[in-house]
Amino acid sequence: MKPFDPRLAVHAKAIRGTLALGGLLGVLKTLAIVGWCWFLSQSITSLIEGSVAALPGLAAGAAASVILRSVTAWLIDVNAERGASRVKEQLRQASLDKIDELGQSWLGGQSQAEVTVRVTRGLDALDRYFSGYLPQLVMTVIATPVLVLLILIADLPSGITVIIVFPVIPMFMILIGLATQGVQDKQWTALTGLSRSFLDVIQGLPTLKIFGRERKQVDRIRVLTDEYRSRTMKVLRVTFLSGFVLDLAGTFSVALVAVTIGTRLVDGSVLLGVGLFVLLLVPEAFVPIRQVGAGFHASAEGLAAAEDIFDILETRPHQDSGAIQVTARGQDLVLDGVSVRHRPSAAPGAAAALAALDSADTGETRIGPASIRVAPGEIVALTGPSGVGKSTLVQAAVGLLPFAGALSVPGAVSWAGQRPALIAGTVAENVALGDAEPDAERVRRALAAADAEQIAPERVLGPAGSGLSGGQAQRVAIARCLYRAWRLDAGALLLDEPTAALDRTSEARVFEALRAEADAGRAVLIVTHREALRDRADRIVQLEGVLA
Amino acid sequence: MSAEPVTSARPSGVLGALRQGVLASALPSRKRWTPAISFGVLADICVVALLGLSMWLIVRAGEQPPILHLTFAIVGVRAFAIGRAAFRYAERLASHDAVFRQLATVRADTFERLVPLTPGTLDEQSRGEVLTRLVDDVDELQNLPLRVVQPLITSGIVVGLSIVVVAILSPVSGLILLLSVLIGGGLAVLASNRVAARSEERLAGLRAALAVEVSDLLASADVLRAFGALDAKRAAVRAADEKLRLAQRRTVSGEGLAAGVLSLFSGVATLAVLWFLAAGGGPAASGMSAPLTAALIVVPAAVFEVFAATPVALQAMRRVRASAERVDEIARPDRPAEIPDEAAGSDRWEPVPGEPLVELSGVSVRRVGAERDTVSGIDLRVAAGDTVVIAGESGVGKSTLALALVRFLEYTGSYRLSGVEAKTLTGRAVRRVVGLCEQSPHLFDSDLRQNLLFARDTASEAELHEVLDRVGLTSWAAERNGLDTRVGEEGALVSGGQAQRIALARALLADVPVLIFDEPTAHVDPERAQALLQDLLGAVPADRAVIVISHTPVPAELVRQQLTLTPTGLAAG
Repeated sequence: MKPFDPRLAVHAKAIRGTLALGGLLGVLKTLAIVGWCWFLSQSITSLIEGSVAALPGLAAGAAASVILRSVTAWLIDVNAERGASRVKEQLRQASLDKIDELGQSWLGGQSQAEVTVRVTRGLDALDRYFSGYLPQLVMTVIATPVLVLLILIADLPSGITVIIVFPVIPMFMILIGLATQGVQDKQWTALTGLSRSFLDVIQGLPTLKIFGRERKQVDRIRVLTDEYRSRTMKVLRVTFLSGFVLDLAGTFSVALVAVTIGTRLVDGSVLLGVGLFVLLLVPEAFVPIRQVGAGFHASAEGLAAAEDIFDILETRPHQDSGAIQVTARGQDLVLDGVSVRHRPSAAPGAAAALAALDSADTGETRIGPASIRVAPGEIVALTGPSGVGKSTLVQAAVGLLPFAGALSVPGAVSWAGQRPALIAGTVAENVALGDAEPDAERVRRALAAADAEQIAPERVLGPAGSGLSGGQAQRVAIARCLYRAWRLDAGALLLDEPTAALDRTSEARVFEALRAEADAGRAVLIVTHREALRDRADRIVQLEGVLA
Repeated sequence: MSAEPVTSARPSGVLGALRQGVLASALPSRKRWTPAISFGVLADICVVALLGLSMWLIVRAGEQPPILHLTFAIVGVRAFAIGRAAFRYAERLASHDAVFRQLATVRADTFERLVPLTPGTLDEQSRGEVLTRLVDDVDELQNLPLRVVQPLITSGIVVGLSIVVVAILSPVSGLILLLSVLIGGGLAVLASNRVAARSEERLAGLRAALAVEVSDLLASADVLRAFGALDAKRAAVRAADEKLRLAQRRTVSGEGLAAGVLSLFSGVATLAVLWFLAAGGGPAASGMSAPLTAALIVVPAAVFEVFAATPVALQAMRRVRASAERVDEIARPDRPAEIPDEAAGSDRWEPVPGEPLVELSGVSVRRVGAERDTVSGIDLRVAAGDTVVIAGESGVGKSTLALALVRFLEYTGSYRLSGVEAKTLTGRAVRRVVGLCEQSPHLFDSDLRQNLLFARDTASEAELHEVLDRVGLTSWAAERNGLDTRVGEEGALVSGGQAQRIALARALLADVPVLIFDEPTAHVDPERAQALLQDLLGAVPADRAVIVISHTPVPAELVRQQLTLTPTGLAAG
């Protein structure tokens, strides 16, 4: 793993300022450390040698150093935290911009929950990268060489000792890393596997209870967890060796320096003041690298989180294709030889049964070409086997997916997708979505037409419209479609399985509302499998076997 | 289950929190803990002793004694240097071992607490998310012994010991050290607590608000785009993000502040000791040896290095406690009135001949936490061989009724199984009679065989194949790996329809006389729903009583009784 990913500086410009300020603070902190060690060692020397006159000045120097050290330590932390929050914001907004640009054809192939976690909670892993790793890395680069150089200048043999011991740290770290890499990966898998199997059992608890199996699981949890413990401990014995080496290098170099200086003091070949100064300085030289070692895991997690974002940022957008031609209201809705490249969604059940594999691309399928024409005043039911691409065609017709072929729509279109996809806010805000000046009366009429007059417009919904039942959410989505159709006087309505969650009575009322829209001169296309809708539609278009 | 008395009041202080709720089970026993704490104390003693002794060594050497007089100190310095690293290594191994051992207990305890509460107390929609969070929180509890209690005890012991030793050598120096640890430590803890607690509270709300906006944006991106509302939503996300960042900028770091304060007081203590010893005229006047004087001056720095673990541990405590509170909230130790007592009643069902298999009269059921009955006035009779369909709008309480029928929820009124009131039986006994194919049947992360066998672990290979054939999965399984087919994490490799078939296969293996299907087509493409219903109902042996809860119409030839659930009861049609 690299200690620092330069792409961070490319995608999140804020990190440059953080690093620059961090470097400056690092220099000040180094200065404070050197000052402290120098003034303290000289104070002790003059106290012991009885030259008390110099003491007040030396002590004042030490006090100034200690204040500078504390303040810079605190500022380094503040700088790291601010840097983290700015970098997170920049990466988040950049990835959301990119997701906008990539459009529905990319997002449709992703798990939205997973992407949400990536750009929100996932990025929080960077906090620990910034607070627990980056400042120590900066200090290793700035303080360590300065301190080692000073030790060399002050006392050559001690400096040489440190220089010999120092490379042992990365060397051992690499050796241990090489020896344990495979094991560590396995341990990581084991640990996550352990949590996952516990989650599996907890989520399946109702099922276990149905079959009277809950008691047996308690023992199983104990046994499994203990098995993982003994396996994990075997690995930890090796993993913790790296911490041991870091500790040992730090303390042992202090011991080496203390003993060699001590023996040379006895024969008078070194001065007490110099000896004390070096002794205080040596442990400080090892502090940053030890902290880098300790923050190694935090940094790996943080960089992995950033990597997830870079994956999004570096995705290439689809080639542009056909543009939707907008004709005057009152014209037909026309799909002429329309085909859509389609990446099957991660959700189960969406396998494109009849779609041919597009040989040029990975895992992509091509829907169509299909031709459909809907006249104003007409209700057309679009049917066909599951996976043939009905929803995909409709999404292309409302401009959500790039397509090939010719597509023309009569003025504005309004659409209701298979999922209600409501958002947090009031019912009225959902119904009037996209309208800068919502019309309360129109909202009420739209809800009534969608057989949803019992849902209060002022009712507040949670994220993803939670708080409504499936049937209620679907009716609000239909009301939203009607509202837009009325507001923009749309020439076409496209609805995808609008009654899947409704009972027969509601279904009939929704159809009445759609009939009224058709009578108002709009072209209405409904994707549906429900017999009741098919029977009442003016025409049925069967989509099948038309694929390349 | 915890035998501790349960109070609703939040326990105050670290120790108060430890005694209650799930935190109590997160702490290892004293016996398991002793090695880890002993090694930790030894390692920290080495930290202080190494600095003090190496300082003593150098100053003593400066007095140019015969080298033999230094041997003891030279050996000691080397021993402390190696000792610190070695004891630390031993401590980490011992403490992790103890913690992992304890994890088994914490997990088993949490699971046992959840048993009576699931699924009744958990909202169907948010259940997955709540439980994922719960598992994370239970994992976080490992940090209580590892990062909270053990560092507190270890650093407390070593800091105390060091102060005592210094006080014996020089009472005033000891007092200076004690005061600076108390004042500096107190200020550091106070600053970190106040600042961090305040900002954590505020930031948590802003973080959640941002997460809601982003998840709405991504989950509804198609609709937002189609309705021209994408830019407005992006602006809302940006505003939430900006708000969070500004709030973060205003809140200074608790940890950084505490570290700064400790660094300052470490220097103050050192200089104060130096000043006191100098005021006494130095070693020449006080009679204290020069090496000892030097050692006394540098020891405070090492003591503060050890003490630095305290604010960090207290910060970890806050996180652990927040997790523990969430765990206690979900796996709560008291049973709400809407949940039946699992253990009460007889474990044997003795059917009365001639009575209908299932008979409900005037049954009402209430969801946990609801103010009114969710369904009420239910009358229903189902005989062996009958298939009853209960339709009705989603949200009207069909699933709630199903949960009551398998005794996951309490009921009022009368619910008899062949003449035996269900309340007089244990939950397990009822579920040996009434089986449920859940709306989202859970498939365990294992192979198909294991997912079937747990319904009846004595089933032979032939019986498993037979039941797969019955539910129409033979060719599906054959195309894959037969009974060894992985059904993947959360059954991700299995479609909604196949999951329902596997659930039915399990129920058939369990051989229950009464079978309830709860919305079997909920996770199936609308166009495949009817065919699936036909297959499922066709697979049930003719002598079973079947209750189907569905908003998708069920083919009439498969149904004996068609009912619709309304808020006031069941109506025909």
